[in-house]
Formats: sequence, C-alpha cells, structure tokens
Amino acid sequence: MADTSDTGGSPGTWALEARGLGKRYRRGWALRDCSFRLPAGRICGLVGPNGAGKSTLLGLASRQIAPTEGALRVFGVPVDDPGVMPRFAFLGQDKPMYKRFTVAETLRLGSELNPGWDAAAAERIVRSGGVPMDAAVGTLSGGQRTRVALALAFGKRPDLLLLDEPMADLDPLARDEMGTLLMAEAVERGTTVVMSSHILAELEDMCDYLLVVADGRIRMAGDADALVPAHALVTGLAEDGGLPAALARHTVIEQRVQGRQFQAMLRTDGPLTGDWQVAEPSLEEVLLAHLRSPDAPALYTPGARIETEGTRTA
Amino acid sequence: MSTTVTGTPAARTARPRMLRGLTWLVLRQHRTTLFCVLGLTLLGSLWIVYQRGQLNDVLAAAGWPEKSVPLPVVGEGYSRLTSLLGLLPGILAVFLGAPLIAADQEQGTAQLVTTQSVARRRWLVAKLGWCLLITLVACSVLSAVFTWWWRPHRSVLPSHWMDSSAFDTTGPVLPALALFLTAAGFTIGILVRRVLASMVVTFVFCVAAQTAWGMYRPLLGTARTLTYPLDDPLPSRLEDAYELDRWIGSADGQLYGWGSCAEATEKATNACLQEKGIVNNVFEYLEYDQMAAMQWAGAGILLAGTAVLTAFALWWASRRSL
Repeated sequence: MADTSDTGGSPGTWALEARGLGKRYRRGWALRDCSFRLPAGRICGLVGPNGAGKSTLLGLASRQIAPTEGALRVFGVPVDDPGVMPRFAFLGQDKPMYKRFTVAETLRLGSELNPGWDAAAAERIVRSGGVPMDAAVGTLSGGQRTRVALALAFGKRPDLLLLDEPMADLDPLARDEMGTLLMAEAVERGTTVVMSSHILAELEDMCDYLLVVADGRIRMAGDADALVPAHALVTGLAEDGGLPAALARHTVIEQRVQGRQFQAMLRTDGPLTGDWQVAEPSLEEVLLAHLRSPDAPALYTPGARIETEGTRTA
Repeated sequence: MSTTVTGTPAARTARPRMLRGLTWLVLRQHRTTLFCVLGLTLLGSLWIVYQRGQLNDVLAAAGWPEKSVPLPVVGEGYSRLTSLLGLLPGILAVFLGAPLIAADQEQGTAQLVTTQSVARRRWLVAKLGWCLLITLVACSVLSAVFTWWWRPHRSVLPSHWMDSSAFDTTGPVLPALALFLTAAGFTIGILVRRVLASMVVTFVFCVAAQTAWGMYRPLLGTARTLTYPLDDPLPSRLEDAYELDRWIGSADGQLYGWGSCAEATEKATNACLQEKGIVNNVFEYLEYDQMAAMQWAGAGILLAGTAVLTAFALWWASRRSL
C-alpha cells in the first residue's frame, strides 16, 4: 500500500484528489468509497448513467454539498477551505441565472463577486456570440444562455471548470458551437475541465481523461487513451457451456455464451494465447461492459489511483 | 480571499458604481420589492400627515381640548389606516420574507451565487441583513409618524390603547412585530424551499402568531388593583384603563366574584352583601401610563425571537446544501 501522504509531486499537480469520498442522503449513499485523482490541465469526462452520482461528485467539488466521509482536495487545498472558491467555476445543469438581470448585469454580478474577474474575456465570449448586452437573461435562447453562463464561468478565471451536463438542453448546432468555445478557452488558459454527461459520444472527442461512475462508485478512472487498450474483446468456442479455462488468468468484465460460441470483454493480464478471435473494443463497448457488470473490479490507469485505508481493494 | 471582494474597476463602465459586491446584488435582485416598500412607507406617512392635519382642523373648529368634541372625529380613513398598519408586518413577512431565500433555492440562483468567490454565509448575512434593515426602516418610520398623530389625540380617536390598532401600530411594537414575522418568513422559506408553499405557510403562521400575541398582550404589564367603596361609581381616572378583572370584597380583604351576590331581588342582594360583609369594589386593571413599558417589553420579546430565528436560519442554511 502506497504512502497516503504521497501526492506524487507538488500539491498543484492534481486538480482533484478524492480519498474515500462518500455522500449519504436520507435515501442512501449517492457516492461511496470514491478515490481518484485528476491531473491538472486535463479535459475530464465524467460519465455514468442517470443517478450514478455525477452531480453529487460535482456538487462536492463545488462546495455545494458537504461530504459524509472522506476528503476532497482541489489543487491540494481541502475543499472546505474558502480559499478554493476563486479557483473553480461551476456551471449547473439548468444554468441558473437571474432571469430579470440583463446580460451586462449578469456579468457585473461576476465582477462584483469575484476578486480576479476578467471583464475583457467575459465580454469577448458574450459578444462573439452576438448576444445583446442589454437583453434580459430570461429572453435569451438556450444557446445564448449557455454562452452567457460560460462567459460568467471563464470570467472568474478558474483553474478548474466544473460543468454538469453542459450540453443537455442544446440543439446540435449550439452544442457544436459551445464545444468549440469551451475547448478554445480551456486550452488557451490551461484550465482543467470536468464535464459530466450520460452520453459518452458527447464527450469522447473532447476528453483526454475519463471518470466513469455507476451506482455511486468509481468504475474507471484514467487516461482515455490507456483505458481502451487494457481491454480485449474475445470471441471463440465455448468449453462446457462456459469460458475456456485458459482465460481465467485475465479479468473478465463481461461474458456472453450463445450456443457453442462465447464472447467476453477481458481486461488482459499478459498476452492472449489461444485459438480465439481477439478484437480491440471501442471506448463505448468498454464503458457499456463496465456499466452492465457492477461486480467487475474498477479500473484505474496509473496515477489515477489513490491507495487509502478507506478504499477497498479493487 | 473571500472576506473582501473588491469589484475590479472595469474600464468600460462609465457610470461610477454606488453599490458594490453583495450589497449591489441583493438590492438589484430585490429592486422591485424595495421600491414597493419604500413607496408604501412614503405614501403611508404622507397619508397620516394629511389625516392628522384634517383632524387638527376639526378639533380647532370645535375648540378642543377646552370644549368636548362630538365623536367620531375621524372617518373611515382612520380605520383603513390602522388596519393597513396592522397588516403591514404580515404583508412584509409573506411577500418579502418568505421568498427571500426560497426563490433563490427554487430557481437555482442560490447555486449561482454560492459558486462565485463569496462564502455562502456572507451571502446569507447580506440577504437577511438587508431584508431586516428595510423592514426596520419602513416600519419605524410609519410607526413614528402614526405615534406622533395618535398619542396626543388618543382621547378622541376610536382605538383604545390596548387595542391592537393602537398597541401594535405605535411605538416599538410595529417594527419589532414586522421584524419577527419577516424573520419567521425567511426561516420558513429556507425550510420549505418553495416560494408559493412558504408564502402560504408564512401567512398561516402570521395569523396564528398575531392571534396569540393579541391574547397574551395583557401579560406584558403588571396588573394593578384599586379598591373603592361599593356604592361609588368607577373613579374617573380609570376610564381609559384596561379592565382585567373585577371583584367585590369584604372589609378584611376577602374577595368574591363580581356576580356572587347577583340575586333576583334587591332585598336578597342586600342580604347577601350583608351576610358576607361586602363593602368594596375591587378593580384589577392596566393603566395607560404602563403602555410604553409594555410596548418595550413586548418589542424586546419579539426582537429576541427575531434574533433566534435569524441565527437558526443562518445556521441551517450554512449547514445544508441550498
């Protein structure tokens, strides 16, 4: 077990570090035993089915929810320290804003409540979308509202941008526009972005890091590029109506036997030898296999994992 | 970091900013309500001044106070005014207090504000503080102007000093009652988290609280008793006293209920009085000179309640997610 104080470098290296993080509501655990870390400067997709705990995780990271157990650090600072407030920006699912405020007043809200407000950047984002500054926020279209909300978020000059289902209510055109805007701004400033979605395809192109949650637990965490090659989709002849014994040394995520044939999603441990058809799965296939098999061990790529006493060995 | 938020002077804003930070936000968000309350205060005060002037003309023409004046000297305007003043704390509680935080919770703007760089508690303090301050200012002004009219003229005005139309609308009671009910309103709003539901609950609470307040009002003063001979009329100085109870008593101080010797015939009554040795009327009352002390005592209780509710609201809302 690794030393718990080892953060693997200076505290700023990790945008988010969770250790045994959990949140219980009256109806049960929304998130439990959640340990991972997210390196700074990455675009991280937070994927999982509805009700998996994505919003809870973002709520914990944006200080709106206090954890029941465990700890969360933002750039090395405990999240309950008010000092983290200027470092992150949060954009909620419904993008709440004062409907009677004009766009200009909404940006003024940002400047009044944030010490490091970047008025030029916020106004540039609003103007580049042709949103009139004197229009009331309540009269804007969905895409325009999202643009104003993003302007408010980037005007704060955050190091970490937390987005809860940012594209959910946008038409394809606005979605594409927002995606481009988001990536351009984030890359220019080196902002770490965490955005949640229950649709993987929405995030696949933008994200280089993935955090998959289901049933309140982390299922996968790590580099998007490293997660897929760790898996293999194997098809072959079944033995005694089950998987061949030779595959037992690999971790079986999901298996299906149809007549004499089997198909299995494996996390490979060493080379696959045998008379099988081996294919590299798509990211979506890996994800679905993990979501369908809640008992399969969680997968962390190196660096994403934190060993703590509170964590059960996966 | 989160203790001082200095609005970065944006080069583009030509107008100098009068208000900053949370003050600007709170006043901008509640601009309409603020103008309504201030307008109501101004118009209400002018109306009182106007009615007072009218009354003074009537009284001067009749030669009051040297000569008596035929009552009533005030029309419906007076009763409308006192009922408006009586309703004002409830109106403020329902329309200013209840939606204060509940609207932000319902529309998600609480999330917007508390994910900027100010701590949630500071935002709550600003919201609750401004709400209470506006309530205090509006009700203090109205109460002061109305007291200035009512107090010198109370002998010709229809409200008795212990009526809610005088006791609750003058002196410190009007602002204290409004502060208490408004604090109850925002506390209910924080707990219920829905605008309409919290307004309904606040309304019901206001009716209940004001009913209870009216029932227990006599407990604010220490009762005085006066003993006077059985056959004498009520002493004139007790004419505007508030009667709590009345007994008849014997010379050695034994008290009997007011009707204990009410018999069918005078002969029987006299026999009863004779037999029990009753010689005195005993009158238990509150007097007008106790009013100010009673009002301050009541206002103290209400302000303590306001402080408790505000502290609870702050604690509850800082602890839980909004």
